[in-house]
Amino acid sequence: MTTGPETAADKRGEAGEVARLLSYVAILAVSAWLFFEAGSLPTSRWDVLGAGAFPQLVFGVLALLALAAIVGALRGLRPAALADFGAATLGWLKRRYLVVALLALFGIYLAVLPLAGFSPATFVFLLAAQFLLLPRRPRTIAVALVLAVVFSFGLNELFASVFNVFLPRGGF
Amino acid sequence: MLDSLLLGAGQIFTLSTLVFMFLGSMAGIIAAAIPGFTVTMAIILTLPLTFAMPPLQGIAVMLSVYVGGYTGGLISAALLGIPGTPSAMATTFDAFPMARAGQPGRALSLGVWASFFGTLISTAVLIVAAPPLAIIAVKLGPWEYFSLIVFALTIIASLVANSLLRGLMAGAIGLAISTVGPDPMMGRPRFDFGVEMLAPGLPFLVVLIGIFAISQLVSEVEDARAVRSGTALTTRDIDFQNWAVIREIVMRPVNLVRSSVVGVLVGALPGAGGSIANLLAYDQAKRASKTPEKFGTGIPEGVVASEAGNSATAGGGLIPMIALGIPGSAVDAILMASLMVHGISVGPRLIMDHADLVYGMFIAMVVASLMMLVVCLASMRLFLRVTEIPKWAIVPAVIVCCVVGSFALNNRVTDLYLLGFIGLAGYALKSLDYPLAPLVLGVILGPIAETNLRRALQTDADWTVFLTRPVSLLLLVAAVLSVAWAIWKHKKSSLPNETG
Repeated sequence: MTTGPETAADKRGEAGEVARLLSYVAILAVSAWLFFEAGSLPTSRWDVLGAGAFPQLVFGVLALLALAAIVGALRGLRPAALADFGAATLGWLKRRYLVVALLALFGIYLAVLPLAGFSPATFVFLLAAQFLLLPRRPRTIAVALVLAVVFSFGLNELFASVFNVFLPRGGF
Repeated sequence: MLDSLLLGAGQIFTLSTLVFMFLGSMAGIIAAAIPGFTVTMAIILTLPLTFAMPPLQGIAVMLSVYVGGYTGGLISAALLGIPGTPSAMATTFDAFPMARAGQPGRALSLGVWASFFGTLISTAVLIVAAPPLAIIAVKLGPWEYFSLIVFALTIIASLVANSLLRGLMAGAIGLAISTVGPDPMMGRPRFDFGVEMLAPGLPFLVVLIGIFAISQLVSEVEDARAVRSGTALTTRDIDFQNWAVIREIVMRPVNLVRSSVVGVLVGALPGAGGSIANLLAYDQAKRASKTPEKFGTGIPEGVVASEAGNSATAGGGLIPMIALGIPGSAVDAILMASLMVHGISVGPRLIMDHADLVYGMFIAMVVASLMMLVVCLASMRLFLRVTEIPKWAIVPAVIVCCVVGSFALNNRVTDLYLLGFIGLAGYALKSLDYPLAPLVLGVILGPIAETNLRRALQTDADWTVFLTRPVSLLLLVAAVLSVAWAIWKHKKSSLPNETG
């Protein structure tokens, strides 16, 4: 029962509960699907359980846990919380714009790495990520440049010459 | 015995062996301090370098990497909140909050000294009790191993989660991840859906790096203002307080000895290792504490329990290897392989045929722990420079180290895509308040659990055997009790809110 005016923090807390509820639903759906998928895995006469039994056990337990979590979450949620969820999620993402940008850069880096090769892709990723995060001062920019060179070309050289590990060379 | 001890000592205390051991100790600490570079990876990289050495020198160097590595995981666990290795998982629970509260030097000192004492205690147990302990450990069948894993997962779920259900779900998600790829008994493909990346299964190290490192690194940049202002991870003055820390540990010996004994016992169980020992030792310390609610807030008992527990597995893991030729962990398997490369067969006759080698290994363990202490104490200020590096510099650089670590494991580009996906999923789960430790433990323990469950039922199709074998029953009862305890604890803590 709400006893006073709702604060922004209350709304954020409720939005978090809705997000968790959605995660339980997603886990229930995926585990139920994979539970039945595991049932179709072949068995062997040498093996009492077969390849699908352990996954069925795991996904069955996971589905039950998710179901219990859904029931628990639904009991504590106000219907209005669902209506506020979209706006709260957008606000959450806006507050974490650096996280979103860094993850996007990381995704692009991983996609480009096999094509461009480790050193050039890493150099560009490091420069871009550091420029995204750093306070723009001549000294920090110089440090960022040095770090980008050391952790791209330097790391590649270290692994190749010392550990005999050859990082992706690129397809171009 | 004395002859063998002196012969072994004669081979260890040579200049070249000591120098190589010192380098090995440094390499282990540095490798394990980098998230994604585990003790296993460090040992694998060291193995080819020891081929040209005499057997004892080679294994002494690898033991130095081993002992150093168990302590190195503490550095990133305490300073970055990222366990450098799975065995430092519980170290993050208290060392990281302690470092964040302005005491990074104390957190590191506590961890290093606890590791040192833990290794010494485990070596003493190794020397005195290797044969009887190994016999007990080997008598455990697949029923007991499966029950042990159930127990380990329920403990961790009840230990780290704000919600027991989410903790158990995280553990089950980890087990589910482990079912992707060829099944561990017959090699049948499972859940790959024709995707090349999924066909070989999801390597647990990539999952570990993605779940812990990437999600932690990304969450470091959540506060844009702090990042842009150049805020370091910790900012206060660093004071190691070595004497105070030694006094703190020695004056409360029960926690240290109990955690070390847990580490030895877990290490002696084949398949179990530091990744379980640190959590079990932490759990035992929490249960025995008069103030269990303070665990997780940065208290010394938590750091000591985890670090003594994981370091003590080094000695414990050697027990079944030396006595019966069964490796206690992946690292012990590599140590075993290094002996076999030199034509030494590892088995019950090892201690009879190569007593000097075995006693030399005991001495090497003591020397390695002393070297670890010296290297850590001498270079900790250097390691602590990590805390002075601003987030804008360290976050992208460590992300690149994670990418390199993930790729170097199997030389597969698809592992990098997996890293990205798991990192994103890890951040989402972290944001939704799912504990990540049970998930990773589930991934590591999944194949062991499945293999033992299927072996148990191959031996006897009757499920009730899990309840009729005393040790298995004891472990399952302990698992139920740990869940019941967590529910009781949750109800107790929510009672004042409901009535107030």
